[in-house]
Amino acid sequence: MAEKIGKHIAIYGKGGIGKSTTTSNISAALAEAGYRVIQIGCDPKSDSTNTLRGNNYLPTVLDSLREGNKIHLDDISVKGFGGVLCIESGGPVPGVGCAGRGINAAVNLLQELNLFEEFKPDYVLYDVLGDVVCGGFAVPIRDGITDRAYVVSSSDFMALYAANNLFKAINKYAPTGGAKLGGVIANSMKPGYHREIVEDFVEKTGTSIAGYVNRSIDVQQSELYGKTVIEAKPNSAQADIYRNLAKYIAENENLVVPNPLGSAELRDWARNWGDRIYDIESGVVGVAEAI
Amino acid sequence: MANIIKNPRNGCALHGALQTVQEIQGVVPVVHANASCGVINYLANSKTSGGNPRFSGYSTPGTAAQERHVIFGGASRLREQIKNTVKVVDGSLYIILNSCESAMVGDDVDAMTREIVEQGEPVVDTLIAGFNGSAYYGYEHVLADIFKSVYELKKNEGEKNPRLVNIFGIIPQKDPYWQGNLEEITRILNGVGLETNIFFGADGGTEDIENARNAALSITFGRWGELPAKVLNEKFEIPVIQRAALPINADDERALIEGIEEYITIDQETKEHFLEKEQKYELNYWSRVRDEIIENDLGRTVAIVGEEEHVIRLGKLVQEVFGAEVVAAVLTDALKKDEEHTLDNGEVLNSIAKNIYKTSDQKDINDIIRQSKAELVIGSSLEQHVADKHGIPLVEASYPVYHKTILNHSSIGVRGIVGVIAEYITAVKQADKEKEEKLQNKLKEFKGQNVWQEHSYKKSHNVKQVGLVSQGAVRESI
Ligand SMILES: Nc1ncnc2c1ncn2[C@@H]1O[C@H](COP(=O)(O)OP(=O)(O)O)[C@@H](O)[C@H]1O
Ligand code: SF4
Ligand SMILES: [Mg+2]
Repeated sequence: MAEKIGKHIAIYGKGGIGKSTTTSNISAALAEAGYRVIQIGCDPKSDSTNTLRGNNYLPTVLDSLREGNKIHLDDISVKGFGGVLCIESGGPVPGVGCAGRGINAAVNLLQELNLFEEFKPDYVLYDVLGDVVCGGFAVPIRDGITDRAYVVSSSDFMALYAANNLFKAINKYAPTGGAKLGGVIANSMKPGYHREIVEDFVEKTGTSIAGYVNRSIDVQQSELYGKTVIEAKPNSAQADIYRNLAKYIAENENLVVPNPLGSAELRDWARNWGDRIYDIESGVVGVAEAI
Repeated sequence: MANIIKNPRNGCALHGALQTVQEIQGVVPVVHANASCGVINYLANSKTSGGNPRFSGYSTPGTAAQERHVIFGGASRLREQIKNTVKVVDGSLYIILNSCESAMVGDDVDAMTREIVEQGEPVVDTLIAGFNGSAYYGYEHVLADIFKSVYELKKNEGEKNPRLVNIFGIIPQKDPYWQGNLEEITRILNGVGLETNIFFGADGGTEDIENARNAALSITFGRWGELPAKVLNEKFEIPVIQRAALPINADDERALIEGIEEYITIDQETKEHFLEKEQKYELNYWSRVRDEIIENDLGRTVAIVGEEEHVIRLGKLVQEVFGAEVVAAVLTDALKKDEEHTLDNGEVLNSIAKNIYKTSDQKDINDIIRQSKAELVIGSSLEQHVADKHGIPLVEASYPVYHKTILNHSSIGVRGIVGVIAEYITAVKQADKEKEEKLQNKLKEFKGQNVWQEHSYKKSHNVKQVGLVSQGAVRESI
């Protein structure tokens, strides 16, 4: 493969956890800092770049592929906030076909169209549907497409479970040139024990935290305007949180191969936390003591 | 880690299903697969010499699915293909066959089928994907799937036929002699007043499928065929008898007929008269070759490669007729999907062969043949190379056979088996002759031609002794 143009970063996480919100704000923050950025939504939902392009219509790569006509980059991409190039891979109608293969085909097509040679990005962000449900969704971290992945997670068990699955996939592919892990983005952090749970999880899996993102009304409000926080509320504290996260991700070279927990291990770990949370909530112990 | 299987001779389940339905007259197959699953099967089978049925190779209707159909699903492509097929090609039954591709994508083939059936077309679908197993699995399951759904389409029940017998286990194209063998089994059962449903070939067809429910009995030869027989048993209470192998002589034919008599009354006079004639026929030919057997020393050590039924049948034949010893038997149809079979031929096999192996890997097979030190191989054309290399004759009798055309020749029953006996003798004589010629040519290259000419009249068995009296260099070259 030719020398890669720009840094290629995959962002994973379970559905609804905040991947698209976080990725779009990172893209916006990087664009604001003067970088050339591409954001590729790799999720059949195809709403990854909504807030970068004011919810405007954008045909997906697979929609164009389905029609079978000759495809031009202009047909499937649009420039959003700060010149971020927005692309959505798209996917089949829910319940039919194979979305995993769709992601694969879309990524291949973008390479065939010389996307990176044409646009010359500094950063390419892939917003990927999260549980690594099959080989297709692991494509962005295989085959040297990206060399680093981040995972968005809250302190909810299912979100950490999805993160652990991603770790398994990285663990499998990293030795043959797949991506490594840059860290966990802890999203929707509320005060209390939530941070401790995620911190304990990264410690157990030999990974690290890339940044904490609070749960904030600014995020929801901006979303309703069809904008990122960076665009809608540039002076808010939340915008700074995203700017710091973007800076960290842009500069971080501490990439690791995680040690995922086994199924039983993960279950025991969760049960243990269940007991502790109960004690905390019922006021038996304070956070610090419980840990 | 992954192993390489060299020259696996068994196609996938789709291939087995396809070659099975292709040989039922009146059936039009519709293959829902990426372009070439069907063609691969054609390319493999068209090299063998049993001729090709009407819907084979490039004239098989198929969806030729592309990446687009994987991503977005191929069901609507299938709908289009069935609709067009029904319009363009006349058939009394359309059978949809699935591939790995459609199974992995999870296309709702069932819904497409129902849609067309509601429009009054006779269509059945099968749920076999290539990865489910080997061609043997495909043969069994496609028949089972057909019997499970075809009677919903063909409402005309017909009448029970107390003399009708369903025949399973003679697999189209997989048994190189399937056409002749179906004819021979029919001849035998007709001989005692029975009728057969053979499904495949010149005398088969979709009527046999329709009539299968009215049979008085199903017989399975070998391990493959149990499943469709079971479906008919569950649906229509048709009893089943299982035979380890097809008959090779009058005794076998008697045993078969007496097995049938437990379910169907057979006129004793007809039976005895028929079997007497069979016995006479057998005796005539078997005794005609007795001098050749002794003269050519035909009781050799033999390795047999083929499906279990072939091994049992042909092993027994060479033991009984030639006094040969089966030093190695390789079962090429023993794959993991056979767990569901109740027929266990372990004991029969042990009585036939000294060593039994289960593999379809040509590398293993070659090693087994080499190590067995067999003097003759009964197998497929794939064994030609190893046989040539070790200078031993090969009788081609199991799939695939490339070097001879087999149309209605049979390899079973008192009539069919005569041909196999002749081939065995021919193969040995030919090989012995070649060996002798080779030796003579070698010897001519050396001095002292007179000495060698004298010896050349001797049998090739004495070759080694001839070598002993020669110079050291000659001995080595032999
Ligand atoms: N830090 C946050 N604070 C408040 N709401 C958030 C935050 N992160 C995500 N959300 C909200 O959660 C919902 C799902 O987020 P989204 O980015 O679409 O998830 P995903 O892409 O992982 O499916 C959105 O409505 C989004 O506004
Ligand atoms: S194994 Fe699957 S892909 Fe291969 S030929 Fe058979 S059906 Fe087609
Ligand atoms: Mg999303």
